[in-house]
Amino acid sequence: MPTLREVQDAMRQSLVRGDSAAISAMLAARIAPDRLDIYRNTFLLTLTRALRLSFPAVQRLVGDAFFECAAQIFIADHPPRAAWLDAYGGAFPEFLRDFAPARSVPYLSDVATLEWAVSTALHAPDAAPLDPNLLAAIATADQGLIRLIVAPSLSLLDLAYPADVIWQAVLSGDDEALGSVDPASGRVRLLVERRRTGVDVERLDGDAWTFLSRLCAGEPIEEAIDLDSDLDVSSVLAAHLSGGRFAGFELVSPPAGTQQ
Amino acid sequence: MRFAHHQVVLDARPDIGWMEVHTENYMGGGTPIRYLDMIRRDMPISLHGVGLSLGSADGIDPAHLERIREVADRIEPGLMSEHIAWNVVDGDYLADLLPLPMTEEALEVVCRHVDQTQNYLKRRILVENPSTYVAFGCSIIPEWEFMAAVAIRTGCGILCDVNNICVSAHNHGWDASAYLAALPVDLVGEIHLAGHSIRSLTDGSTLRIDDHGSEVSAEVWTLYREALARFGAVPTLIEWDNDVPPLDVLLREAATAASFIAGNDERPIHADAA
Repeated sequence: MPTLREVQDAMRQSLVRGDSAAISAMLAARIAPDRLDIYRNTFLLTLTRALRLSFPAVQRLVGDAFFECAAQIFIADHPPRAAWLDAYGGAFPEFLRDFAPARSVPYLSDVATLEWAVSTALHAPDAAPLDPNLLAAIATADQGLIRLIVAPSLSLLDLAYPADVIWQAVLSGDDEALGSVDPASGRVRLLVERRRTGVDVERLDGDAWTFLSRLCAGEPIEEAIDLDSDLDVSSVLAAHLSGGRFAGFELVSPPAGTQQ
Repeated sequence: MRFAHHQVVLDARPDIGWMEVHTENYMGGGTPIRYLDMIRRDMPISLHGVGLSLGSADGIDPAHLERIREVADRIEPGLMSEHIAWNVVDGDYLADLLPLPMTEEALEVVCRHVDQTQNYLKRRILVENPSTYVAFGCSIIPEWEFMAAVAIRTGCGILCDVNNICVSAHNHGWDASAYLAALPVDLVGEIHLAGHSIRSLTDGSTLRIDDHGSEVSAEVWTLYREALARFGAVPTLIEWDNDVPPLDVLLREAATAASFIAGNDERPIHADAA
Protein backbone atom coordinates (compact mmCIF):
# COMPACT_ATOMS: atom_id res chain seq x y z
CA MET A 1 0.00 0.00 0.00
CA PRO A 2 1.55 3.34 -0.99
CA THR A 3 2.09 5.95 1.70
CA LEU A 4 0.40 9.33 1.44
CA ARG A 5 3.72 10.87 0.43
CA GLU A 6 4.18 8.27 -2.33
CA VAL A 7 0.72 9.04 -3.71
CA GLN A 8 1.51 12.76 -3.66
CA ASP A 9 4.88 12.30 -5.36
CA ALA A 10 3.27 10.16 -8.05
CA MET A 11 0.56 12.77 -8.60
CA ARG A 12 3.17 15.52 -8.93
CA GLN A 13 5.02 13.42 -11.50
CA SER A 14 1.77 13.21 -13.49
CA LEU A 15 0.87 16.90 -13.24
CA VAL A 16 4.27 18.52 -13.61
CA ARG A 17 6.03 16.03 -15.87
CA GLY A 18 3.06 14.47 -17.65
CA ASP A 19 4.23 11.02 -16.55
CA SER A 20 1.23 9.18 -15.12
CA ALA A 21 2.68 5.66 -14.90
CA ALA A 22 3.16 5.64 -11.12
CA ILE A 23 -0.13 7.32 -10.21
CA SER A 24 -2.12 5.18 -12.66
CA ALA A 25 -0.91 2.07 -10.85
CA MET A 26 -2.30 3.48 -7.59
CA LEU A 27 -5.83 4.11 -8.87
CA ALA A 28 -8.76 1.88 -7.95
CA ALA A 29 -9.26 -0.83 -10.58
CA ARG A 30 -12.47 0.66 -11.96
CA ILE A 31 -10.96 4.10 -12.59
CA ALA A 32 -9.93 4.78 -16.20
CA PRO A 33 -6.53 6.54 -16.15
CA ASP A 34 -7.74 9.17 -18.64
CA ARG A 35 -9.63 10.71 -15.73
CA LEU A 36 -6.21 11.98 -14.62
CA ASP A 37 -6.24 14.31 -17.65
CA ILE A 38 -8.76 16.50 -15.80
CA TYR A 39 -6.16 17.24 -13.12
CA ARG A 40 -3.32 17.76 -15.58
CA ASN A 41 -5.46 20.17 -17.63
CA THR A 42 -6.52 22.14 -14.57
CA PHE A 43 -2.93 22.38 -13.35
CA LEU A 44 -1.65 23.72 -16.68
CA LEU A 45 -4.64 26.00 -17.30
CA THR A 46 -4.52 27.55 -13.84
CA LEU A 47 -0.82 28.30 -13.96
CA THR A 48 -0.88 29.50 -17.58
CA ARG A 49 -3.72 31.84 -16.62
CA ALA A 50 -1.68 33.12 -13.67
CA LEU A 51 1.25 33.87 -15.99
CA ARG A 52 -1.06 35.54 -18.52
CA LEU A 53 -2.38 37.83 -15.79
CA SER A 54 1.12 38.88 -14.76
CA PHE A 55 2.62 39.10 -18.29
CA PRO A 56 -0.09 40.54 -20.57
CA ALA A 57 2.33 42.52 -22.76
CA VAL A 58 4.58 39.50 -23.26
CA GLN A 59 1.54 37.53 -24.34
CA ARG A 60 0.50 40.17 -26.86
CA LEU A 61 4.03 40.45 -28.23
CA VAL A 62 4.37 36.73 -28.96
CA GLY A 63 0.73 35.71 -29.48
CA ASP A 64 -1.47 33.22 -27.63
CA ALA A 65 -0.09 30.00 -29.07
CA PHE A 66 3.55 30.90 -28.50
CA PHE A 67 2.81 32.15 -24.99
CA GLU A 68 0.98 28.98 -24.05
CA CYS A 69 3.78 26.80 -25.35
CA ALA A 70 6.46 28.83 -23.51
CA ALA A 71 4.32 28.82 -20.35
CA GLN A 72 3.93 25.05 -20.38
CA ILE A 73 7.67 24.47 -20.70
CA PHE A 74 8.28 27.02 -17.93
CA ILE A 75 5.66 25.46 -15.63
CA ALA A 76 7.24 22.00 -15.93
CA ASP A 77 10.62 23.44 -14.87
CA HIS A 78 9.35 25.94 -12.33
CA PRO A 79 6.18 24.82 -10.56
CA PRO A 80 5.07 27.42 -7.99
CA ARG A 81 6.76 27.32 -4.59
CA ALA A 82 3.88 28.96 -2.70
CA ALA A 83 0.12 28.55 -2.71
CA TRP A 84 -0.17 32.20 -3.65
CA LEU A 85 -0.35 32.59 -7.40
CA ASP A 86 0.15 36.35 -7.34
CA ALA A 87 3.70 35.47 -6.35
CA TYR A 88 4.14 33.04 -9.26
CA GLY A 89 6.28 33.87 -12.27
CA GLY A 90 9.34 35.65 -10.85
CA ALA A 91 11.60 33.30 -12.83
CA PHE A 92 9.70 33.76 -16.11
CA PRO A 93 11.73 36.77 -17.39
CA GLU A 94 14.99 34.86 -16.90
CA PHE A 95 13.46 31.79 -18.55
CA LEU A 96 12.47 33.90 -21.58
CA ARG A 97 16.00 35.31 -21.81
CA ASP A 98 17.32 31.79 -22.39
CA PHE A 99 14.35 30.51 -24.40
CA ALA A 100 15.78 29.93 -27.89
CA PRO A 101 12.49 30.28 -29.83
CA ALA A 102 12.09 33.80 -28.36
CA ARG A 103 15.45 35.05 -29.62
CA SER A 104 13.89 36.94 -32.51
CA VAL A 105 12.29 39.27 -29.92
CA PRO A 106 15.44 40.34 -28.07
CA TYR A 107 13.60 42.78 -25.77
CA LEU A 108 10.99 40.19 -24.65
CA SER A 109 12.77 39.31 -21.43
CA ASP A 110 13.17 43.00 -20.50
CA VAL A 111 9.45 43.59 -21.03
CA ALA A 112 8.79 40.53 -18.83
CA THR A 113 11.13 41.93 -16.15
CA LEU A 114 9.17 45.18 -16.16
CA GLU A 115 5.83 43.33 -16.00
CA TRP A 116 7.05 41.28 -13.07
CA ALA A 117 8.08 44.46 -11.22
CA VAL A 118 4.63 45.91 -11.92
CA SER A 119 2.92 42.75 -10.70
CA THR A 120 5.09 42.65 -7.57
CA ALA A 121 4.26 46.30 -6.89
CA LEU A 122 0.53 45.60 -7.26
CA HIS A 123 0.59 42.85 -4.65
CA ALA A 124 3.29 44.11 -2.28
CA PRO A 125 2.28 44.47 1.37
CA ASP A 126 0.87 47.81 2.49
CA ALA A 127 3.38 49.89 4.44
CA ALA A 128 3.06 53.31 6.03
CA PRO A 129 5.60 55.79 4.59
CA LEU A 130 8.44 56.93 6.79
CA ASP A 131 7.67 60.23 8.47
CA PRO A 132 10.61 62.56 7.57
CA ASN A 133 10.26 64.22 10.99
CA LEU A 134 11.50 61.01 12.58
CA LEU A 135 14.71 61.34 10.57
CA ALA A 136 15.10 64.99 11.50
CA ALA A 137 14.90 63.98 15.17
CA ILE A 138 18.08 61.89 14.94
CA ALA A 139 21.08 63.58 16.53
CA THR A 140 23.29 65.28 13.96
CA ALA A 141 26.26 63.11 14.94
CA ASP A 142 24.29 59.98 14.14
CA GLN A 143 22.76 61.15 10.88
CA GLY A 144 25.51 59.55 8.87
CA LEU A 145 24.53 56.17 10.30
CA ILE A 146 20.98 56.25 8.96
CA ARG A 147 20.13 53.39 6.65
CA LEU A 148 16.72 53.64 4.94
CA ILE A 149 14.31 50.74 4.50
CA VAL A 150 12.75 50.78 1.06
CA ALA A 151 8.96 50.60 0.58
CA PRO A 152 7.95 47.03 -0.29
CA SER A 153 6.37 47.91 -3.64
CA LEU A 154 9.40 49.71 -5.05
CA SER A 155 11.86 48.21 -7.49
CA LEU A 156 14.61 49.60 -9.67
CA LEU A 157 15.34 48.13 -13.07
CA ASP A 158 18.33 48.55 -15.33
CA LEU A 159 17.32 47.22 -18.76
CA ALA A 160 19.15 47.01 -22.08
CA TYR A 161 16.01 47.83 -24.10
CA PRO A 162 13.38 50.58 -23.79
CA ALA A 163 10.92 48.14 -22.20
CA ASP A 164 8.79 50.92 -20.71
CA VAL A 165 7.71 52.44 -24.02
CA ILE A 166 7.27 48.99 -25.62
CA TRP A 167 5.14 47.85 -22.66
CA GLN A 168 2.99 50.97 -22.77
CA ALA A 169 2.46 50.80 -26.54
CA VAL A 170 1.59 47.09 -26.44
CA LEU A 171 -0.90 47.38 -23.58
CA SER A 172 -2.63 50.42 -25.03
CA GLY A 173 -2.85 48.66 -28.40
CA ASP A 174 -1.06 51.59 -30.00
CA ASP A 175 0.54 50.03 -33.08
CA GLU A 176 1.82 53.36 -34.30
CA ALA A 177 3.68 53.99 -31.05
CA LEU A 178 5.00 50.45 -31.08
CA GLY A 179 6.16 50.87 -34.66
CA SER A 180 8.05 54.02 -33.79
CA VAL A 181 9.98 52.47 -30.89
CA ASP A 182 13.63 51.96 -31.68
CA PRO A 183 14.58 48.85 -29.71
CA ALA A 184 18.23 49.76 -30.20
CA SER A 185 17.76 53.17 -28.55
CA GLY A 186 19.62 51.80 -25.58
CA ARG A 187 19.61 51.16 -21.88
CA VAL A 188 16.84 52.46 -19.61
CA ARG A 189 16.79 52.76 -15.85
CA LEU A 190 13.34 52.52 -14.32
CA LEU A 191 11.66 53.11 -11.00
CA VAL A 192 8.51 51.00 -10.45
CA GLU A 193 6.31 51.64 -7.44
CA ARG A 194 2.72 51.45 -6.28
CA ARG A 195 1.07 54.74 -5.56
CA ARG A 196 -2.44 55.33 -4.29
CA THR A 197 -3.72 55.59 -7.86
CA GLY A 198 -1.95 52.55 -9.27
CA VAL A 199 1.49 51.37 -10.31
CA ASP A 200 3.85 54.01 -11.70
CA VAL A 201 6.78 53.37 -14.02
CA GLU A 202 9.21 56.25 -14.23
CA ARG A 203 12.48 56.67 -16.13
CA LEU A 204 15.40 57.95 -14.06
CA ASP A 205 18.68 59.30 -15.33
CA GLY A 206 21.84 57.42 -14.47
CA ASP A 207 22.89 59.39 -11.38
CA ALA A 208 19.40 59.53 -9.87
CA TRP A 209 19.00 55.79 -10.41
CA THR A 210 22.39 55.01 -8.87
CA PHE A 211 21.68 57.18 -5.83
CA LEU A 212 18.30 55.58 -5.20
CA SER A 213 19.58 52.07 -5.78
CA ARG A 214 22.36 52.66 -3.25
CA LEU A 215 19.80 53.83 -0.70
CA CYS A 216 17.59 50.83 -1.49
CA ALA A 217 20.56 48.50 -1.10
CA GLY A 218 20.87 49.73 2.49
CA GLU A 219 23.91 51.95 2.15
CA PRO A 220 23.97 54.59 4.90
CA ILE A 221 22.75 57.91 3.53
CA GLU A 222 26.15 59.48 4.06
CA GLU A 223 27.85 56.93 1.79
CA ALA A 224 25.07 56.90 -0.79
CA ILE A 225 25.24 60.65 -1.30
CA ASP A 226 28.95 60.44 -2.05
CA LEU A 227 28.34 60.50 -5.81
CA ASP A 228 30.71 61.97 -8.33
CA SER A 229 27.87 63.93 -9.86
CA ASP A 230 26.16 67.29 -9.87
CA LEU A 231 22.92 65.67 -8.70
CA ASP A 232 21.29 67.77 -5.98
CA VAL A 233 21.13 64.85 -3.56
CA SER A 234 19.41 66.61 -0.69
CA SER A 235 16.45 67.77 -2.76
CA VAL A 236 16.27 64.37 -4.50
CA LEU A 237 16.29 62.63 -1.13
CA ALA A 238 13.57 64.97 0.14
CA ALA A 239 11.47 64.10 -2.91
CA HIS A 240 11.91 60.36 -2.27
CA LEU A 241 10.85 60.81 1.35
CA SER A 242 7.80 62.90 0.53
CA GLY A 243 6.94 60.41 -2.22
CA GLY A 244 6.72 57.69 0.42
CA ARG A 245 9.50 55.60 -1.11
CA PHE A 246 10.83 54.54 2.27
CA ALA A 247 8.99 52.68 4.99
CA GLY A 248 11.43 53.08 7.86
CA PHE A 249 15.07 53.38 8.84
CA GLU A 250 17.64 51.90 11.13
CA LEU A 251 20.92 53.10 12.51
CA VAL A 252 24.04 51.29 11.37
CA SER A 253 26.33 50.31 14.23
CA PRO A 254 29.33 52.61 14.20
CA PRO A 255 32.66 50.99 13.31
CA ALA A 256 34.31 49.13 16.20
CA GLY A 257 36.46 51.28 18.46
CA THR A 258 34.56 54.50 17.92
CA GLN A 259 32.98 56.24 20.87
CA GLN A 260 29.24 56.87 20.92
CA MET B 1 -17.20 37.48 -5.01
CA ARG B 2 -14.54 38.08 -7.66
CA PHE B 3 -12.63 41.27 -8.53
CA ALA B 4 -15.06 42.15 -11.36
CA HIS B 5 -17.74 42.67 -8.71
CA HIS B 6 -15.83 44.91 -6.31
CA GLN B 7 -17.08 48.26 -7.56
CA VAL B 8 -20.59 47.10 -8.46
CA VAL B 9 -21.03 45.61 -4.98
CA LEU B 10 -19.91 48.86 -3.36
CA ASP B 11 -22.19 50.90 -5.64
CA ALA B 12 -25.27 48.66 -5.55
CA ARG B 13 -24.98 47.35 -1.97
CA PRO B 14 -27.02 44.25 -2.83
CA ASP B 15 -29.39 42.97 -0.20
CA ILE B 16 -27.59 39.76 0.67
CA GLY B 17 -26.55 38.51 4.05
CA TRP B 18 -22.85 37.94 3.47
CA MET B 19 -20.21 37.23 0.86
CA GLU B 20 -17.43 34.73 0.45
CA VAL B 21 -14.04 35.26 -1.20
CA HIS B 22 -10.96 33.16 -1.81
CA THR B 23 -8.50 34.07 0.93
CA GLU B 24 -5.59 33.76 -1.52
CA ASN B 25 -6.96 36.57 -3.71
CA TYR B 26 -6.57 39.07 -0.86
CA MET B 27 -3.07 38.27 0.31
CA GLY B 28 -0.55 41.10 0.12
CA GLY B 29 -1.56 44.75 0.04
CA GLY B 30 -2.91 47.20 -2.50
CA THR B 31 -6.31 47.46 -4.12
CA PRO B 32 -7.96 44.04 -3.55
CA ILE B 33 -7.75 44.05 0.23
CA ARG B 34 -8.71 47.74 0.31
CA TYR B 35 -11.92 46.90 -1.57
CA LEU B 36 -12.58 44.01 0.79
CA ASP B 37 -12.09 46.33 3.78
CA MET B 38 -14.77 48.62 2.36
CA ILE B 39 -17.22 45.83 1.52
CA ARG B 40 -16.62 44.34 4.96
CA ARG B 41 -18.12 47.49 6.48
CA ASP B 42 -21.46 46.61 4.86
CA MET B 43 -21.65 42.86 5.35
CA PRO B 44 -19.89 39.89 6.93
CA ILE B 45 -17.24 38.13 4.85
CA SER B 46 -16.45 34.44 4.74
CA LEU B 47 -12.83 33.55 3.89
CA HIS B 48 -12.56 30.40 1.82
CA GLY B 49 -9.01 29.14 1.35
CA VAL B 50 -7.75 26.92 -1.45
CA GLY B 51 -4.04 26.70 -0.73
CA LEU B 52 -3.46 25.44 2.79
CA SER B 53 -3.21 21.82 1.67
CA LEU B 54 -4.57 20.21 4.84
CA GLY B 55 -3.78 16.79 3.37
CA SER B 56 -0.07 17.30 2.61
CA ALA B 57 2.10 14.49 3.95
CA ASP B 58 4.93 17.04 4.31
CA GLY B 59 2.99 19.31 6.67
CA ILE B 60 1.37 22.67 5.97
CA ASP B 61 3.40 25.71 4.96
CA PRO B 62 3.75 28.03 7.98
CA ALA B 63 4.28 31.02 5.67
CA HIS B 64 0.93 30.33 4.00
CA LEU B 65 -0.80 29.92 7.32
CA GLU B 66 0.62 33.28 8.36
CA ARG B 67 -0.63 34.94 5.16
CA ILE B 68 -4.10 33.56 5.93
CA ARG B 69 -3.88 34.92 9.47
CA GLU B 70 -2.97 38.38 8.16
CA VAL B 71 -6.06 38.46 5.92
CA ALA B 72 -8.25 37.15 8.75
CA ASP B 73 -6.92 39.71 11.25
CA ARG B 74 -7.73 42.51 8.85
CA ILE B 75 -11.15 41.28 7.67
CA GLU B 76 -12.44 39.56 10.83
CA PRO B 77 -14.42 37.00 8.85
CA GLY B 78 -17.70 35.49 9.99
CA LEU B 79 -16.58 32.07 8.74
CA MET B 80 -13.32 30.53 7.56
CA SER B 81 -13.04 27.37 5.54
CA GLU B 82 -10.62 25.08 3.72
CA HIS B 83 -10.79 21.80 1.81
CA ILE B 84 -10.34 18.11 2.42
CA ALA B 85 -7.70 17.94 -0.28
CA TRP B 86 -4.01 18.58 -0.85
CA ASN B 87 -1.89 20.53 -3.32
CA VAL B 88 1.64 20.86 -1.95
CA VAL B 89 4.34 18.21 -2.10
CA ASP B 90 7.99 18.93 -1.36
CA GLY B 91 7.25 22.66 -1.52
CA ASP B 92 5.74 22.51 -5.04
CA TYR B 93 2.24 23.99 -5.19
CA LEU B 94 0.12 22.03 -7.66
CA ALA B 95 -2.61 24.69 -8.03
CA ASP B 96 -5.65 22.42 -7.73
CA LEU B 97 -7.62 20.67 -4.99
CA LEU B 98 -6.24 17.17 -5.36
CA PRO B 99 -7.87 13.97 -4.07
CA LEU B 100 -6.60 12.21 -0.98
CA PRO B 101 -6.43 8.47 -0.59
CA MET B 102 -9.10 7.73 2.02
CA THR B 103 -6.76 6.00 4.50
CA GLU B 104 -6.11 6.11 8.25
CA GLU B 105 -2.78 7.81 7.51
CA ALA B 106 -4.47 10.59 5.48
CA LEU B 107 -7.13 11.00 8.16
CA GLU B 108 -4.47 11.47 10.84
CA VAL B 109 -2.54 13.93 8.69
CA VAL B 110 -5.65 16.02 7.97
CA CYS B 111 -6.72 16.04 11.63
CA ARG B 112 -3.24 17.12 12.74
CA HIS B 113 -3.29 20.00 10.26
CA VAL B 114 -6.82 21.10 11.15
CA ASP B 115 -5.72 21.20 14.81
CA GLN B 116 -2.61 23.18 13.87
CA THR B 117 -4.66 25.63 11.78
CA GLN B 118 -7.34 26.20 14.41
CA ASN B 119 -4.71 26.72 17.09
CA TYR B 120 -2.74 29.16 14.96
CA LEU B 121 -5.74 31.17 13.79
CA LYS B 122 -7.46 30.87 17.16
CA ARG B 123 -10.66 30.14 15.28
CA ARG B 124 -12.79 27.22 14.32
CA ILE B 125 -12.67 26.43 10.62
CA LEU B 126 -15.02 24.53 8.34
CA VAL B 127 -13.69 21.85 5.99
CA GLU B 128 -15.30 21.24 2.62
CA ASN B 129 -15.96 17.86 1.04
CA PRO B 130 -14.10 17.60 -2.29
CA SER B 131 -15.22 16.89 -5.83
CA THR B 132 -13.09 14.06 -7.19
CA TYR B 133 -12.52 12.34 -10.52
CA VAL B 134 -10.32 9.44 -9.42
CA ALA B 135 -10.20 7.06 -6.47
CA PHE B 136 -7.24 5.17 -5.08
CA GLY B 137 -6.87 1.42 -4.66
CA CYS B 138 -5.64 1.91 -1.09
CA SER B 139 -8.75 3.90 0.01
CA ILE B 140 -10.63 2.10 2.76
CA ILE B 141 -12.69 4.84 4.44
CA PRO B 142 -15.87 6.07 2.72
CA GLU B 143 -15.51 9.81 2.09
CA TRP B 144 -18.58 10.71 4.20
CA GLU B 145 -17.09 8.82 7.17
CA PHE B 146 -13.77 10.59 6.59
CA MET B 147 -15.53 13.99 6.65
CA ALA B 148 -17.44 13.16 9.82
CA ALA B 149 -14.30 11.79 11.53
CA VAL B 150 -12.28 14.96 10.81
CA ALA B 151 -15.03 17.14 12.29
CA ILE B 152 -15.60 14.95 15.34
CA ARG B 153 -11.90 14.50 16.14
CA THR B 154 -10.84 18.14 15.69
CA GLY B 155 -13.98 20.09 16.57
CA CYS B 156 -14.02 21.80 13.18
CA GLY B 157 -17.23 22.21 11.21
CA ILE B 158 -18.23 20.83 7.84
CA LEU B 159 -18.80 22.93 4.76
CA CYS B 160 -21.21 20.68 2.88
CA ASP B 161 -20.74 21.25 -0.86
CA VAL B 162 -23.92 19.78 -2.31
CA ASN B 163 -22.67 20.14 -5.88
CA ASN B 164 -19.47 18.26 -4.99
CA ILE B 165 -21.53 15.44 -3.50
CA CYS B 166 -23.60 15.29 -6.69
CA VAL B 167 -20.44 15.30 -8.87
CA SER B 168 -18.50 12.74 -6.83
CA ALA B 169 -21.53 10.47 -6.36
CA HIS B 170 -21.95 10.31 -10.13
CA ASN B 171 -18.22 9.84 -10.76
CA HIS B 172 -17.85 7.03 -8.22
CA GLY B 173 -21.30 5.44 -8.19
CA TRP B 174 -22.23 6.59 -4.69
CA ASP B 175 -25.71 7.38 -3.36
CA ALA B 176 -25.75 11.18 -2.89
CA SER B 177 -28.67 11.09 -0.43
CA ALA B 178 -26.91 8.49 1.70
CA TYR B 179 -23.79 10.74 1.73
CA LEU B 180 -25.87 13.63 3.12
CA ALA B 181 -27.51 11.35 5.65
CA ALA B 182 -24.10 10.28 6.98
CA LEU B 183 -22.93 13.82 7.84
CA PRO B 184 -23.47 14.81 11.49
CA VAL B 185 -26.37 17.31 11.58
CA ASP B 186 -24.89 19.66 14.16
CA LEU B 187 -21.51 20.00 12.49
CA VAL B 188 -22.58 21.35 9.10
CA GLY B 189 -21.97 25.12 9.27
CA GLU B 190 -22.27 26.15 5.63
CA ILE B 191 -23.51 24.84 2.30
CA HIS B 192 -22.05 25.44 -1.16
CA LEU B 193 -24.00 25.19 -4.39
CA ALA B 194 -22.55 25.49 -7.90
CA GLY B 195 -22.90 24.45 -11.50
CA HIS B 196 -21.00 21.57 -13.05
CA SER B 197 -20.46 20.22 -16.54
CA ILE B 198 -20.55 16.71 -17.98
CA ARG B 199 -17.76 15.26 -20.11
CA SER B 200 -17.65 12.00 -22.08
CA LEU B 201 -14.67 9.72 -21.60
CA THR B 202 -13.08 7.43 -24.17
CA ASP B 203 -14.68 4.35 -22.57
CA GLY B 204 -18.14 5.81 -23.22
CA SER B 205 -18.80 6.74 -19.58
CA THR B 206 -19.41 10.29 -18.44
CA LEU B 207 -17.60 12.31 -15.86
CA ARG B 208 -19.07 15.27 -14.02
CA ILE B 209 -16.70 18.20 -13.70
CA ASP B 210 -17.04 20.68 -10.85
CA ASP B 211 -16.25 23.82 -12.85
CA HIS B 212 -18.35 26.55 -11.16
CA GLY B 213 -19.12 27.89 -14.62
CA SER B 214 -22.90 27.69 -14.98
CA GLU B 215 -26.22 27.73 -13.16
CA VAL B 216 -26.99 25.24 -10.40
CA SER B 217 -28.56 22.09 -11.94
CA ALA B 218 -32.05 20.82 -11.10
CA GLU B 219 -30.51 17.72 -9.56
CA VAL B 220 -28.37 19.82 -7.20
CA TRP B 221 -31.38 21.97 -6.21
CA THR B 222 -33.24 18.77 -5.28
CA LEU B 223 -30.31 17.53 -3.24
CA TYR B 224 -30.07 20.97 -1.63
CA ARG B 225 -33.65 20.67 -0.37
CA GLU B 226 -32.73 17.34 1.18
CA ALA B 227 -29.74 19.00 2.81
CA LEU B 228 -31.88 21.83 4.21
CA ALA B 229 -34.37 19.31 5.57
CA ARG B 230 -31.52 17.59 7.37
CA PHE B 231 -29.25 20.45 8.45
CA GLY B 232 -31.75 23.30 8.87
CA ALA B 233 -31.31 26.83 7.56
CA VAL B 234 -27.55 26.74 7.05
CA PRO B 235 -25.85 29.76 5.38
CA THR B 236 -25.66 28.91 1.70
CA LEU B 237 -23.29 30.17 -0.97
CA ILE B 238 -23.57 30.02 -4.76
CA GLU B 239 -20.10 29.47 -6.24
CA TRP B 240 -19.67 30.75 -9.78
CA ASP B 241 -16.09 31.71 -10.51
CA ASN B 242 -15.50 30.58 -14.10
CA ASP B 243 -17.14 32.58 -16.89
CA VAL B 244 -18.28 34.84 -14.07
CA PRO B 245 -21.71 36.29 -14.93
CA PRO B 246 -23.01 39.77 -14.11
CA LEU B 247 -23.93 40.27 -10.47
CA ASP B 248 -27.70 40.15 -11.12
CA VAL B 249 -27.48 36.57 -12.47
CA LEU B 250 -25.72 35.55 -9.25
CA LEU B 251 -28.28 37.39 -7.15
CA ARG B 252 -31.07 35.48 -8.94
CA GLU B 253 -29.42 32.17 -8.05
CA ALA B 254 -29.02 33.37 -4.48
CA ALA B 255 -32.70 34.33 -4.38
CA THR B 256 -33.67 30.80 -5.45
CA ALA B 257 -31.63 29.35 -2.61
CA ALA B 258 -33.18 31.87 -0.22
CA SER B 259 -36.67 30.82 -1.27
CA PHE B 260 -35.87 27.18 -0.49
CA ILE B 261 -34.48 28.21 2.89
CA ALA B 262 -37.58 30.30 3.59
CA GLY B 263 -39.79 27.33 2.76
CA ASN B 264 -37.80 25.27 5.18
CA ASP B 265 -37.41 27.70 8.02
CA GLU B 266 -39.04 30.99 8.89
CA ARG B 267 -35.75 32.75 9.51
CA PRO B 268 -34.68 34.64 6.34
CA ILE B 269 -31.04 33.63 6.08
CA HIS B 270 -29.84 35.00 2.77
CA ALA B 271 -27.85 33.05 0.30
CA ASP B 272 -25.21 34.85 -1.54
CA ALA B 273 -22.91 35.12 -4.49
CA ALA B 274 -19.40 33.75 -5.01
